[in-house]
Amino acid sequence: MNDWQRKSPLDWETYVNKMVKVAAIEKHEYEGWVLTVDPVSASIVLATFLENEKVSVSVVLGHAVQEVKILKEGDDGMKQRLSGIFAPEES
Amino acid sequence: ALLGGDAAAQGVRAALRQRYLRGLAAAQGRPTRFCLRAGVQVDAVFGAADVEAVAIQVDALRTPLGVQAAALLRCTDVLAYSFFL
Repeated sequence: MNDWQRKSPLDWETYVNKMVKVAAIEKHEYEGWVLTVDPVSASIVLATFLENEKVSVSVVLGHAVQEVKILKEGDDGMKQRLSGIFAPEES
Repeated sequence: ALLGGDAAAQGVRAALRQRYLRGLAAAQGRPTRFCLRAGVQVDAVFGAADVEAVAIQVDALRTPLGVQAAALLRCTDVLAYSFFL
C-alpha cells in the first residue's frame, strides 16, 4: 500500500471539490476537479470541463497514485456543478 | 484507513463511496480509454467493476488482432481510465 492508500476518509475528503494535479506511476500526470475518492480502492475521480459543454471523467486507481497536489479551491458554483455530475436522475 | 473509525469518519467514508458508485454507474456503456502499465493504451466499452476493485469488465475491447467481445481487465494492470459524459 502506498501513502495515498493509507490516508483516512477525512484526509481524502479535504481534496474533494478542489482542482488537483495527480502524479501517477510511470510518469503519468492528470489534472482536474476532484469528484470523490473511493474509500475502498483509494481511486481518485477527476472531472474536466471541455469547451463543447462535455465533461471528461478520469479515474486514477489508488495503487497508481504517487502524489496529489492541490492547485485551486472550488467556489460554491463549482461545488454545485460537480455534485450535479453524478446526481441520480429524477424519475 | 480501510477499517473506518469513529462515526464522523464513517459518515464521510459512506458519502465518498456513494459518489464513487454513482460514477461507476455513469461509466457503464460508455467508450472508455484505459491506460495500462508499460505505456499501453486500450479502448473498450465500460461494463462493470466489482466491489473490491479487483477487476473491470469491459465489452468491445480493441486489440491489434481485432475486437474482443468481452474481457476482464485486472485493476493492478490499470493505471487510469477516462470517459466522456
